[in-house]
Formats: sequence, C-alpha cells, structure tokens
Amino acid sequence: MTKGKGDVLQGTLDMLVLRALQLEPMHGWGITERIEQWSERVLQLGQGTLYPALYRLERQGFIHSDWRVTENNRRARYYSLTPKGRRQLTEELAHWRRMTRAIDLVLVASVE
Amino acid sequence: MRSVMEIWRTLRSLRKRDELEAGLRDEIRFHIDQQTEKNIRAGLAPHEARRRALITFGGAESSKERVRDEIRTPVVETLVRDLQYAVRALRKNPGFTAVATMTLALAVGATASIFTVVQHVVLNPLPYPDSDRVITLDHSVPRQNVPRFTSMPPGLYFHYADRARTLAALALYRPSEMTITGHGVPERLPIGYTTPSLASVLRVAPARGRWFTSTEAEPGAPRVALLSHGVWQRRYGGDPNIVGKFITLGGVATQVVGIMPPSFAFPHSAVRVEVWLPDQLSRAAGFGIFTHFGVARLRDGVTVDDARAELTRLIGDVPQVYPGEPFAVGLVTTGGLTSVAITLKEATIGSVTRVLWILLASVGLVLLIACVNVGNLFMVRSEARQRELAVRRALGAARIRIAGQLLTESTLLAVVGGMIGLAVAWAGVRLLVTFGPPSLPRLDEVRLDPVGVAFTLALSTVAGLVFGALPLLHRVSFAAMLHDGGRGNTASRSRHRTRRLLMGGQVALALVLLLASGLMVRSFQNLLAVDPGFDSASALTFRVGLPQTEYTSRDAAATAHQTMLDRMKEIPGVIAVSASTCLPLAGGCMGNTMRAEGRVEPPGTIPPIVSFRAVAGGYVETMGMRLLRGRAIDRRDVEQRAPVVVINSALASAYFPHEDPVGRRVSFGRSDAWLTVVGLVANTTTRALNESTPAPKLFMPMSIAGGPGMPPTDLVSTGPDISVMTYVVRSITPPLSLVPSVRRAIDTIDAKLALADVKTLGDVLDRASAQMAFTMVLLAIAASVSLVLGLVGIYGVMSYIVTQRTGEIGVRLALGATPGSVATEVVRQCALVAVIGVLVGVTGGVAGSRFIESLLFQVSPRDPKVFVATALTLIVVTIVACWLPARRAARISPLEALRFE
Repeated sequence: MTKGKGDVLQGTLDMLVLRALQLEPMHGWGITERIEQWSERVLQLGQGTLYPALYRLERQGFIHSDWRVTENNRRARYYSLTPKGRRQLTEELAHWRRMTRAIDLVLVASVE
Repeated sequence: MRSVMEIWRTLRSLRKRDELEAGLRDEIRFHIDQQTEKNIRAGLAPHEARRRALITFGGAESSKERVRDEIRTPVVETLVRDLQYAVRALRKNPGFTAVATMTLALAVGATASIFTVVQHVVLNPLPYPDSDRVITLDHSVPRQNVPRFTSMPPGLYFHYADRARTLAALALYRPSEMTITGHGVPERLPIGYTTPSLASVLRVAPARGRWFTSTEAEPGAPRVALLSHGVWQRRYGGDPNIVGKFITLGGVATQVVGIMPPSFAFPHSAVRVEVWLPDQLSRAAGFGIFTHFGVARLRDGVTVDDARAELTRLIGDVPQVYPGEPFAVGLVTTGGLTSVAITLKEATIGSVTRVLWILLASVGLVLLIACVNVGNLFMVRSEARQRELAVRRALGAARIRIAGQLLTESTLLAVVGGMIGLAVAWAGVRLLVTFGPPSLPRLDEVRLDPVGVAFTLALSTVAGLVFGALPLLHRVSFAAMLHDGGRGNTASRSRHRTRRLLMGGQVALALVLLLASGLMVRSFQNLLAVDPGFDSASALTFRVGLPQTEYTSRDAAATAHQTMLDRMKEIPGVIAVSASTCLPLAGGCMGNTMRAEGRVEPPGTIPPIVSFRAVAGGYVETMGMRLLRGRAIDRRDVEQRAPVVVINSALASAYFPHEDPVGRRVSFGRSDAWLTVVGLVANTTTRALNESTPAPKLFMPMSIAGGPGMPPTDLVSTGPDISVMTYVVRSITPPLSLVPSVRRAIDTIDAKLALADVKTLGDVLDRASAQMAFTMVLLAIAASVSLVLGLVGIYGVMSYIVTQRTGEIGVRLALGATPGSVATEVVRQCALVAVIGVLVGVTGGVAGSRFIESLLFQVSPRDPKVFVATALTLIVVTIVACWLPARRAARISPLEALRFE
C-alpha cells in the first residue's frame, strides 16, 4: 500500500492503535485510554476515527476481535494483534523512526 | 487474487451486515458507558458525566457511518446500486424493455440453435476417436467416364491389405437387409456385412460382448452377429443376457456376440444399420467386381494425398497379381483405375456442410440487424435521458460512473434476453432436429448442450456490451448538453448521421438475406418443376425381401413375387401393381457396361455404364412412366421368360444415336445371350432431382434376371438379384390406408415376410427435395425476420428524428412551408438512405452470391429478376416505413410545435 500525502495522519493512527495493542488485547475504550495515558494526554483520539480504524485494521488482517466479558462483568469487544499485525507494527515503527530522524536532521540543519 | 478475496469478504460482510450493525451499536454504547463511569469517578454528576462522555465521543452516527464505509468495497456496492437502478429504469419503460429483450432473444436463440447443429453435425459428425483420420477408399475410372466409384472389388482390398504402408487398418463393408423372425412380428432390418478389421479402422468397441474374430469371417464359419443398441432395446427389451443367445436372421440361427453403443450407426446413411455380420470373404474368389465399400485409417503422420498416391501406385501392380482376370486387367490398363480416397467426414457431410455454414452466416446477419435495432433503441433512450445524465454529471458523478450505469443497463437487458434466447435456442434445436433433411448425419443426437448454452449467454452478453457502448461513442460534452437543454434540435446532428448509417446498414443486410432466399426460392421452384419421369400421385411403395434359405432359386422368387402382386391387385381401390429391383431416386443400384449388336466401340474407349432393373409386368404403366416407342414389359414376358428389354432415352442416345432402337439386340457381362429391345421409355431421375445428366437404364423381366444363390460375378451376366423387390401399388384410395390390406395379402403367401420402408411415391419425391426445402425455408425465415426488424428499425428511427425536429418543422411551417413539402422532405431523406443501402447491399449480394452458387439449381447467382425484385421490395418497404413519420411531420401544428419547446 503506498502512502499518499493525506494518509500520513491515518497511517499514524493505525500505528498508534497497533502499538497500544502490542502488550495485551484491549477494547476500544481501553485503547483511547492507553494512548491518552502514554502520550501524557497530548494525543486525544477522536472516537469518530478510532472505530473505523479498528474495522479497517481487522479487515486488513492486522488485528482480530472477539467478544469477552470485562472485570465488571460487561460484554465488550476485545481487539488483539495478529502475527501479521505484529510484523506490520515493526515495519511501521522502523519507517516512523527513519522519518522522524530525517525530519530532525532537516530541522537541525536549517537552524544552524 | 487479492481483489477476489476482497469481494468475497465484502459479500460476507454484506450478508453479516445486521450482525455487524448490532455489534457496532453495543461497542459504542460500551465505550460511552465506560467514559461516563470515568467521568463519575472524577466527581461529575451522573447526568453531566454522560453528557460529557457523549461530547467526547463525537457524533455516534457519523462514527457508525464511517465504520460502514470501511466495511464495504466500493466496486460491489456500486454494482449492486447500478443493478437496482438499472432494474428500476428498465421497468419504468416496459415497451422499450420488451421490444429490446425479445428482439435480442429471438436473434440470439436462432443463432445459437443453428450453431448447435453446426457444432454437432459439421464439427463432430462421426462418433469415432480421431475420426479425421478415417478415409473412404473411393476410386475413379477416368477413361470410362466414372469420376467416382464409392464401391470397390474385394480383390483390390486384399491387394491393399497386403501392401499398403500408409494405412494403419482397412476394412470392407456391404450394406444389405435381412428379415429377422421370432420375438414378435417379422421385421426387415438393414444390415451391414463387414470385415472384422472394421473395429480397428473406426476404433470402436461393443458396449456389451465382443467384436468379431477373424476366424468368424472365414467362409463356412458359424454365423454370429452384433446388434445395434436400437434393435436390442426395441426387439429384446434391453435383455442384459442377450449376448450368447441365438436369433433367427434370414432363416439362419445366428449367435449374438455383442451390442454396439447407441451412437454407433456405421455406415452413416439415411437408413440406420441395425445388425452387423462378419463378411465371409474368400481370397480364392479372385478380383471380383465393385460389390463392397472400403474404409481405412491413415497411419500417423500420413496425409490423404500420401495414401491416394500409394494406392494408385499399388493399383499398377494389379495386372501382375490377377493376370487371369480380364476385368481386373482391363480396369487398370484400359480404364486407368485411380484411387480418389477422401476423408469419411467429407464423404458423409460434404454436401450439407456448406448449407449449414450459409445458414449460420445468415442467422448471424439477422443477429447483427437485431443488435443494430436494439443499439438504436438504446441511443434514442440515452438521448431522451441527456438532461438527466447531464444533471447527474453536474452533481459530481464521474463520466466513468455514468458509462458504467448505461453498460449495466444494457448488460442486464442482454442477460435477460439471453435467458429467453436459451429457451428459443432449445425450441429451435428441437425444430431443426425434427425437420432437418436426412442428409444431416447424427441429427437426432443433437441437443442444446453446455457448449450451446455458454455460446448463447456469451453471445448475448457481447451483444449487450456492444449496443450499450454504442451511445457512449458520442463523447458529447455534458456541459453543452445542459446548456442547450430543451433546444436540442441541432445538437444531435452527428447522431442523426450515425443513425442514418445504421439504417442504411440494416437495409443492406436485409437485402443480402432477401437475395439469398429469393435465389433459393427460384431454385426450389425449378427443382419442383423437374419432371421425375413418373407419376408420384397416389401410389404406395415398400420393399419385400425373400429369405434365400426358403426361396432358393430365381424361379421360386419370381413366382412368389408374382403371386403376391396378384393378391394385391385384388385389394379394393387398387388400380395397378408392379415391382422393380430399384425405384427412381433410389440410386444407380446395379450398374454394368453393355454391348449393342453391330456396334463396334472405338478402340481405347469403354461405353457408358448402364443401370439395370429387373421388373414385374406392367411396371412402366404402374409407375406412370412415358412409353415413347414400342411396348412395355408385360406379365406374359415374365411368365414366358422372354429375352426382351425396354431402354430409356439416355441409353438409346448413348448406344443408338439417331436410330430407332426397337428391334436392336443387346448383351452384357460375359454372357452371349442376346436380348431384344422392344420399347423405349422417357428418362426417370436416378439419384437426385437436380442431377445434371440422366442415367442410361435398362429394364428386363424379373424372370430372366439374377436370383438367390448366384455369386456376384454371375449377376454381371444375368442381371440384378430379384430376392429383394420394391413394390408399387397405385390406388384410387389414399395410399397409406392400403397398408393393412397389403400386409394381409402377403400373409396369405408367407407370414414371415416383412414389409420395409413403407412410403408413398410422393414421399420419395419430397425426400429428394428435402435438403433444398430445408435451406430455402430457413433462409426465407431469416430474410423475413430481417425485413421485419429492418422495417421496425427504420420506422422507429424516422419517428424519433421527426419528434426531435418538431420545433424546427414548426418554425418552417410557420414561415410558409406547406405540409406536403415537409412530408416530401422526410420521405426524400428516407429514400436516399434506402437507395444507398440497396446499392451497398446489391454490391455485397453480387460478391456473396457465389458462396451459395453450389446450392442453386438452374438459377444464375446474379439472376437479374431476383435482384431487381428484391431491390424494389426493399426500397418500397423503406418508404412505407417512413411514410407514417412523414405524415406525422406534415400534420404538426406550428403553434403547438413552438409551445412544445
């Protein structure tokens, strides 16, 4: 899948979601909480975009969902990473690091 | 692969749509609840906590909508929407839909049914493996004016069998007939004597039991037989234990050794052979005469030409191998015997192949006309929808989406048309099978098979795409369309041009078909006008064969025939009865050369072959043949074994040119017995009504001809074997009503005798013209359909053009044009198109008519009468089709026309 200009944000969202699921399966609300927490409340997910992203990732085979019961005895859909999703995450992280490093270099160079 | 998975997943998700919607609802509710709880924990009041949670989440509906967008694939979704739209659009316009669908269904169905027949009969006529490698061993005797003998002497077969390297296997066969008795009524069955090698030539195996062994073909071996699937079912009820049992064939106990598969019908002719017997041929019998037919299978890598060359070379050795046989030696040295082997396929369907291809081409033309018509309808519609499409385009629909929409509509229509077309094709195949001429081999096995079904559907889909794409060819600017909107009377100039082009094309195509069918009708008229030389009205014919085991001599056979004829004469309503070994249109039967007393043949030439017929008394009168001189053979000649003959005009002009033949004497074969010519009769047709030259014929009393038990070599000097005779019963009552009385008359002599091939003389004539009638009727149907389609098409187009130009015409009328001049203008335009179409069609017809030249009879392929009549018909029809729209144009009221804007 090639990434156009406008896809950067979406690509980032997908990466964040995959990253959030790296440790354990979680439901949608848990994912927003986890990302908020990790980003020290800088990244607040628009829920309008979270669920479409989850369905898209599932359709692409990166995550898998099933209905489970929470600690408070409520039914919720839990998402977990598939092996394919794990590979995708590693790739995207590497890509992201290359990108940020490249952007840093450019920024540093222009300051000097 | 990827996209296939995608579509599959999408379809699955479409099916699971409700499930997914419910899941999504629950999931979002859960999310909001969790957020609310969190807000409560942070110290908010429950009501406020929930409100905040909802705000944080954002629009729940828009979220759901975006999820929905994720779970569908646009392609499938679009297709579904386009289909729904197409169904709605087509249902809104039932007239258009019905006309378009039925036009397509008829044309596609007709094409598919002829295709099915062509595919079975032409492409795969013989049910043998590698049937293209099977050849028939035909020979020509060029210096005796015999271009093709389909038969050959057994001696030549043995000669080939010992030496030919180009042939993997070769076999001889000889069709005959025999009476089967026991197990129900006696039945006269067509049988085939064959060498055991036939199985290796055709590479077929019996469905049950086994094929003949070579010892069973040795002279004197006990009689064995193989049965056809048909006779096994019909006479023995498919008895699974029939193999090994004995049946009575021709009065001889014969053991059944096998049953052939249902498709096996060798040799392929109008009569299906029901029983195969090993031909007990002996090399000791010498070279022999042309009594058998030969087939062979080519060795791998060998062509028919190679085989022909080798066999002709081998023929050169015949005089050394059969030095004591003057017939064999003369045939090679004087006659110049040559192999003219052809493939069995060509021999079987050669004459009918062209007919079928021509019919396929003509239904193809009809299909083309139908497509043009439907395409025209589509163009008209797409123009009527210009505004709608332009608005949709303005609202942002991509050009490709609109094109997709139009193509979906035409394809849907084509698929529905194709389905109905399937039904038409099925019925068409049934009709063709029922009414097809007997010259089509294996016609009764033809069914609409998967190939035919696939062909029908593919054809209609392609047609749908073609006429759906037609309106798209005009890349009209949609913006311009919106612009001139209502005043679109000049914008579609180029479309009018296209439409006139299509109209002219229809005229040209219809003209070609009409020309072909006109030429066929003329040929058929000429064929019916041929004088067959006998009176076909009100006469019954059938064959009676006497088993050689019971009627062992010629005299016994002649007496039996005479007694039966006498009994039949007494049946009320019967005027005359007689019999012959061979009727007109039944072929050459027995042929031989003849000597005329006092006539010396120029050295190096051999006189023409003469067809011999042994007849009962009164044959010429009963058949209604014309006696030109002298007298006919009567009953007294038969009783007294008078050495007399009657000859026909063709024989007289070949042997006795410019002389009175009556009183002259003739002889034939090795015999020195001279027979006196007592009468001269007019020619009768021999093989076909359209044969180019009449065959010389000689009629002799049956009591002096050949008979049972005579070896074939002796028959050459006596005459045809009278064991099997064809009877003719002329009556004043309907002929077929006589059958029971005839049966009773035969029963009084011998109840075991069977009647075979019962038909009227009228049937004999009909059968002779069946193939041409078949071609003519189908071509006439194709031509009429094309004419009607053309008429409807032209009418539709002209009506539309007039409607489109209402405004313009109104203005012209308001400016002082007379209604008459307006109507004339429309008709003039139309006539111009018609004349151009006719010119193109006539050019095409002149070029194309040579393809059907071989099917025509006594008509030039450029017959001026047919060309002029057809061209005039089309011009008149076109003008009539334009007349109604023209009249409407003339009646336009200028005021209303301008208001119509």
